[in-house]
Amino acid sequence: MSAQLAAAPATSVADSADLIEWYYEQGYSDGLPVVPPTPAKVAAMLAALGGEPQKVEARVPPRWGGLTREVLALNMVMAGCKPEYAPVVRAAMLALCEPAFNLNGVQATTHMACPLLVVNGPLARSIGMNAGCNAFGSGNRANATIGRAIRLILLNVGGGWPGELDKSTLGHPGKYTYAVAENEALGLLAPYHVEKGFKAEDSTVFVMAAEPPHSVTNHVANDPQGILDSICSAMSTFAHNNAVSSGHCAVVLGPEHATTISKHGWKRHDIKNYLWMNSGNKFRELAFEHRYGKVYNRSLPVWYKRELDSHIPIVPGADNIHLFVIGGEAGRFSAFIPGWGHMTSPVLREIEGRAGPARSGPRCVDGTCYL
Amino acid sequence: MQPVYDPRGVVGAEKKEVAARIKSLDGLRLGILDNTKWNANKLLRELRDQLQAQYPLAAVNYYRKESFSRFADPALVEKIRSENDIVVTAIGD
Repeated sequence: MSAQLAAAPATSVADSADLIEWYYEQGYSDGLPVVPPTPAKVAAMLAALGGEPQKVEARVPPRWGGLTREVLALNMVMAGCKPEYAPVVRAAMLALCEPAFNLNGVQATTHMACPLLVVNGPLARSIGMNAGCNAFGSGNRANATIGRAIRLILLNVGGGWPGELDKSTLGHPGKYTYAVAENEALGLLAPYHVEKGFKAEDSTVFVMAAEPPHSVTNHVANDPQGILDSICSAMSTFAHNNAVSSGHCAVVLGPEHATTISKHGWKRHDIKNYLWMNSGNKFRELAFEHRYGKVYNRSLPVWYKRELDSHIPIVPGADNIHLFVIGGEAGRFSAFIPGWGHMTSPVLREIEGRAGPARSGPRCVDGTCYL
Repeated sequence: MQPVYDPRGVVGAEKKEVAARIKSLDGLRLGILDNTKWNANKLLRELRDQLQAQYPLAAVNYYRKESFSRFADPALVEKIRSENDIVVTAIGD
């Protein structure tokens, strides 16, 4: 590889040129109008990233374009980001470019998965991310433009253009933007990043290759089992990618459901273990009873029994279920978010600084200690 | 005049030469790389059997990638390179 990377070439157009149309014509848009970068906006974004415009933060597959701070700043401005979002977008890109995530595969796959970003910690609140009402929907600048900046980088720098390097059969709406924060303010469960060994005052980004959220409705149950059984029902189909390709998934508890569950004293590990133990399929369903020839399914772990009545879990263990509390205070809804499969691993990293939890040894969350 | 920018970043890559094309399969060592996708093994085993039946190959070696979506382990690539003259792979979705 050549070590030399040129600056993003700047040129100029006539004062009468319509810049929004110019960026469309160059093919630098996600389909929506971009904010035309001005020298002042780019400079402010670069300052928020720490200057050094030619510093390469990452190379973004499958095109392997060099993500210099200048290029990062340009895409963030085009997405409509404020400079204060810069640490989140940078940390998300660093997480996405870790080999374990396999962004090369996520970008190119025929499956619809795309990166989901969940932010934890005080930074999510200080930049105004929406963890409440309609968190996965529209109406919040931070959520919308952080996710959009990531998408613009995956398109412009990563080359994930539909039909070219992105071969997704269907795609999904999260490919415009798919960024939320966990609702820590309600204090119903320990925050996600605390479960993983960070301190509550740390700010983190979690990235996972994800299908869209599947709504889980339960207006009846007044105990954890009933609510979680509805989530297990959503998990226990053989249509989504986890069922046939293992890997990781996410479960989002809406605040009303989380309140009922936590009132009964259930903690993160209780919820995850219950979901894992009570969801899944029979191998006969995944094998179509061998109607189309003998099925083994190499995408499932070797240690699964493959007899017709064998129980096949949705993911190999309870820790492969990533649990969040997100959403508005009213409404007895939760969500199941399938992942892409064993081909990718989610990545969690601190937004500024460490790539993983600093502490080692036992850590105790919600009354349970882990090595 | 108004400034405009290219947001794509630069790709720094070196051109690599393609290996010389072979003229005959006679006496060559054939490597098969199964990328472990759903039907890759079915496709590649059939191809292997047909090639073996038609050509006097010196050896036929079968390898598997750990994951169809990830890069092959560099050590595996090196092993394939050292043990074979030609290699066939396929995804078999």
